[in-house]
Amino acid sequence: MDAYFYIILVVGLLSSGVCLGAGILKKAPNDFTILSVAAVELALLVYLVGSIVRVIAGEPIAGEAWEFWGYLATAMLLPPAAVYWSILERTRWSNFVLAAVGVTALVMAARMNQIWY
Amino acid sequence: MKAPRSGATPAKAEGKAGVKDTRNTGPGRLLIAVYAVFAISATARAGYQILTKFSEAPLAYLLSAIAALVYVVATVSLAKPGRTWFRISLAAVLVELVGVLVVGALSVFDPVAFPHETVWSLFGRGYAFIPLLLPVLGLVWLYRRRPRLQ
Repeated sequence: MDAYFYIILVVGLLSSGVCLGAGILKKAPNDFTILSVAAVELALLVYLVGSIVRVIAGEPIAGEAWEFWGYLATAMLLPPAAVYWSILERTRWSNFVLAAVGVTALVMAARMNQIWY
Repeated sequence: MKAPRSGATPAKAEGKAGVKDTRNTGPGRLLIAVYAVFAISATARAGYQILTKFSEAPLAYLLSAIAALVYVVATVSLAKPGRTWFRISLAAVLVELVGVLVVGALSVFDPVAFPHETVWSLFGRGYAFIPLLLPVLGLVWLYRRRPRLQ
């Protein structure tokens, strides 16, 4: 597990915690929960840029390269999709949808780390 | 849990069911979101398995593909309104429940014949048992949002 994973671990858990809390408190998605999901996207973007730099620098990916990029691309689609979904219906349940993003990104980052090393 | 009692509040139930026969609001949105994540991951995994190593375990990877298809159908049908989509949802969720139970049991009792991983192997242990929990929640949700009988 590298630094990219731990960044996503922290940001993902914080985001999921914030969104879960807001959902339990019966709040509709607000700037706070949506921005926390945006932070997950930012963390994934850092992973993407860092990975591109490492590949250009000549570091090999141990597993299947396209599997790694597939995971990363799919993970990066989740936050925008969840935010769009939460804007369509502004109820507490959308906060639970947003909460799912951080945990899912975390699991996918763990898998991406496995593929890389 | 507030069970909808049609006898106690007929007017309210009628108004709700008459206006919209949908399952994509409230908790349903979370359910659809989780189904969508499983649809994507199961499809990607099954596609990968079939393209790269299908001959190793055709049965297991075919089951992976069926699981993926079930998740896709469940995701789409839960998001759609109307009675037909309700029936499709019900069928998909029931197939999913049977699948996870049968494949889960097979992988436990006959691991020799079933060595290769699928979403439903060991009752979905590789996915935090969410595949086992999902159809149960799906059935509860479908029951609560069932179309009213004419």
